[in-house]
Order: sequence, then structure tokens, then C-alpha cells
Amino acid sequence: MDPSREDFVIAIRSAFLRKGNKQKFSLLSLILFSIILLILGNFNFKIIDFNRAIIKEIIYISSFITSIPENSAKNTFYKISDHFNHYDEYQISKSKLKELANKDLEKTIITFENIELKKLINDYFVEDQRTYAKVLIDKESPFLRSIVINKGSKNGVKIGMAVYDEIYLVGKVVEVNFITSRVLLISDINSRVPITIQPINLEGIMSGFDKNSGQLQYLNQDDAIDYDKKKLIVVSSGIGGVFKSGIPIGEIDIQNKKNSKKLIVDFYRNFSQLKYVKISSHKKENINIDQSNKKTFKENNIKIKEINSQAEDIKVLRQQAIISDRVQYKLQSENTILRENLIIEKNKVKIMNKKKDILIVEENRIKFLELDSLYSRKCKKNFFQPKLFKVGTKEYKACILSKAVIKKN
Amino acid sequence: MINITDKKKYILYKYTPIFLLYTSILNEIDFNLEFKYFSFNFAYILIFYYSLKREDSVGYLSIFIAGLFNDVINGLPMGISSLTYLLLCTAAAYLRNITLRPNIIKDWIFFLITILILNFITYSYLIIFFNYEINYLDQAINITGTFLLYLLFSYIFRFYENSILGKSN
Repeated sequence: MDPSREDFVIAIRSAFLRKGNKQKFSLLSLILFSIILLILGNFNFKIIDFNRAIIKEIIYISSFITSIPENSAKNTFYKISDHFNHYDEYQISKSKLKELANKDLEKTIITFENIELKKLINDYFVEDQRTYAKVLIDKESPFLRSIVINKGSKNGVKIGMAVYDEIYLVGKVVEVNFITSRVLLISDINSRVPITIQPINLEGIMSGFDKNSGQLQYLNQDDAIDYDKKKLIVVSSGIGGVFKSGIPIGEIDIQNKKNSKKLIVDFYRNFSQLKYVKISSHKKENINIDQSNKKTFKENNIKIKEINSQAEDIKVLRQQAIISDRVQYKLQSENTILRENLIIEKNKVKIMNKKKDILIVEENRIKFLELDSLYSRKCKKNFFQPKLFKVGTKEYKACILSKAVIKKN
Repeated sequence: MINITDKKKYILYKYTPIFLLYTSILNEIDFNLEFKYFSFNFAYILIFYYSLKREDSVGYLSIFIAGLFNDVINGLPMGISSLTYLLLCTAAAYLRNITLRPNIIKDWIFFLITILILNFITYSYLIIFFNYEINYLDQAINITGTFLLYLLFSYIFRFYENSILGKSN
């Protein structure tokens, strides 16, 4: 064997097999044990799962206990910084409160309308189970963004349940132990949330991108970017049934993202500051009818039928009314047109009459001029005939028109 | 004969690495700080340094258990961190065996190669067997941070040892 290769083999063998003075196990044995653990992890044997769950519970609790000093220091720091920011925040809150008080009533009405409409399309979910949990560990790993909460299968937590911070979506339960569970945050790259962008109604999938942001996939980015509003709201779409529809997630700042190739959602909540979360599952609203309610149900059905038939009648009457309204409207419009025509005709007649009068006057004038040229000498007053009439007087005109026949009074 | 003060100092020195290792793993001080483009793996630095310089200060069994703890807390498949940590110990032991004249820069470069290989193994395992999606930018930042800070921490650890035990020890 080549001496350099021999050295390498000796060094490697020594590294793997040689135990130190105080080492109880060799590296090789522990490495083999790790590999066995990894292989067993791929199989879902009951004993392995049970042992794994116990180990996890112990580690979660011990991690929580060791984190107490750090958490208390962190909380004290937040409290102090809150104290310093108190007045500014109070002023902002005050102005916001006024604004929100006005919006509250409007929101309540819209919520009721929304519930009614969702019931109509059979998409109304009611809360099936709700549990509140404390966040035990929110350690961020470079591989997985998740939190551990202090509720497990003992409290009815199941895999797939949605996790909220107030009304905002945080993630979903991916691992359940007896008294603890792991929640995969929506900021994790492995999470997939079906979303809708409002108000443009664009559907897509969101995966985690950053600590406080997500990235949208499978949608036409131009549709969102072309929108003229500054911000778009991202809510869960409810597709797939894991999350109910309409849970607020975050918003897209379109103005700042126009040059970006990715559509980034800024989450409403900072997931590194979570203390308590709400875990809930939802189901479609079902009305359970027992024997005692059947009669009422039948009566209601009859009433509904009656109302429906009445509604049909009303519908027919309404249609008739609409038709008669239309006819009336048509007649009225025709009447109006005729009236307008009549006025135009009357005006025309007036104009014709005026023209006629002008013509008569003109005709008389021409007749007078003709006669004037013939009988002027016999009617005109002059030196030799002083008894005749002065030109322009009524008597002169009468003389001309009577063809110089003078009436003697 | 060792007097009582020296014994206390020795106990303090002996258990500090284990205490630090378990604190960094169990505690929420996770060194993935709030900065967007900065994080590092403190456990890697600590394990490599103490396996290389003070072979008996952190037992392999402790490292193995610490790996299990890390997996459970971070939600990784159980055994992956233990394997990584133990392979890191192997690399350190190999380096110790072949080194005649220790040099911090050589250790540093060897550490970089080791963590690159180990992270490659981890990512491959997670991607192939568990369909994990990995943000490579975050990982690259983490590896770079770990590599850069090894030098700083090795000086800090040495300074700590010297201040506890004295330079002669």
C-alpha cells in the first residue's frame, strides 16, 4: 500500500474508532445509530412513533423551561420599549379608534350579508373546534419555520387544523403529540396556502418567502400589477378545504413591487412575536332535524311553498305591470311626439298667415299704385283744382281707390 | 495536588462547552438573528472547535443527544443533526490525527470544506427523502456566517480557556 494512502486510512480509522479517555461510545457506533434512527423515522411503526412522541414532549418542555430566563428578559425589553412608545401609540390609537367606530357598523352589516350569501351558495363554515394555545418554542431553523404549542391530541388538536393569531392566519398543525403540537408557519417555504387577491379576485398559491413575507405562485402577475390601486389584500380562498375562505393573510404593495419579478405578500402579523394562538377547525353548517322538529319542518315547508306560489303570482303580476308600464311609456312618448308635431304645424300656419297678410298688404299697395298712376291727376289737389285732396291723406287714398269718383256728402 | 479553587475552575471549564451547546440548542437564542441577511450555526463552530482542540471536553454521546434535541426542536427528521454533528466530530478527529503543527487558518479552511460537505449531505437527504424545499440563499448565508465567525469564536474560546485555566494549562 502507498504510504500516504496508508496514513489516510490510519487517520480515518483512528477518527472513527478511537475512543477518548472519557468517551463512552466510539464515533462509528453513534453514527450508525443516527443512521438507524433516520431509517426508522421513515417507517410509521407504533412503538417508534410512541417513543418519538415521548422524546419530543420531554424536549419541548425542557426547551420551554430553559427558555424562561431569555423569554422573561425579552418580555421585559418589550415592556420597556412599549412604555416609551406609549404616548405616540395612544395618539395613533385614538385617531384610529374614531375611524374604526364608523366602519364597525358598516362591517357588521356586510358580515351579515356575507353570511346570508355564503349560506345561499352552501359555502358557510361554522367553527367546529376551537382551542387557545401558548407558544412554547418559536425557534427559527434555517430549514423549517415552525412553532411548538402547548396543546396536543389530549386537547383535541388534529393534524391540518388552522392556526390563527386573532383573525389572521398563522399556519397549520403538522405534528401532534399528546400535550404539544408543531405548527408550520405560512412563512415557511414548504407551506402552500390557496389564496385570493382582493378586490381583483385573482386566485393563486402562496408559499413562504421570508420571515414576514410570502411569495405568490401560479398566477398571472401582470393582472395584479396592472391594477391601479396601491395595495391588494390577500385572503385565503378556501380551495382544498384546509383553510376556510376569507381569512386575512397580508397585503401586496403594488407600487413598490412593480419592478419586481415576484409578487410578495407582506404578512399582517409578525410571526416572531407570537405568544398565544387560536387553533380551530371548520365544517359546513348542517341543520340537524330530529323527530320532534319534523312537523314544524313540514309546516314550514308548506308555508314556504305557499310563499313561493305567492311569489310566483307576484312575479307574474310584476311582469304584467312591467309590460303595461312599457305600453304606457310608449303611448306617452308617442303622444309627446304628436304634441310636438302639432306645435310645429301651428307655428307653420301662423307663419303662413303672416305671409298671407303681408301679401294682401302688398297687393293692395300695388293696386293703389296702379290706380294712383291712372287717377292721380283727378284726385290730387293743385292750384287749378283746390277742392281735391292732398297727397298722402286718407281722402286722397279713398279717391284713388274709388277711381276718382268723389262722393258728395 | 489540585486545590479547591483549581478544581472549581476545571469543572467550570469542563462543563462550559456542554452548557453552551445545550443552551444554544434548547434556548430560543438561536443565532438566526432578526437580520435578514445574517445567520450562523453556533453548534457547528462549538462542536468543531472543541472536538479539534479539546477532544474530551464534549462527549460524543452528548453531541449525539444534542443533535436529537436540535432535530426535535427544529422539526427535522430525528437523527439528521446527530449524524451531521458526529460527522463534524469525525472530520475534526481526522484533522487532529493528521496535524503535526496546528495552524488556525488551516483549521478554518478545513472547517469550511467540512461544513460544505455536511450541508450537502443534509440538504440531499432532506430533499430526496423528505421532499423539503430549501431556500438556498438562506443556507448560503448561514454557511458563510458560520465560516466567517469560526475564527472569531475560536479566539473567544481560547481566550476563555486562558482566562480560566491560565496560559500554562
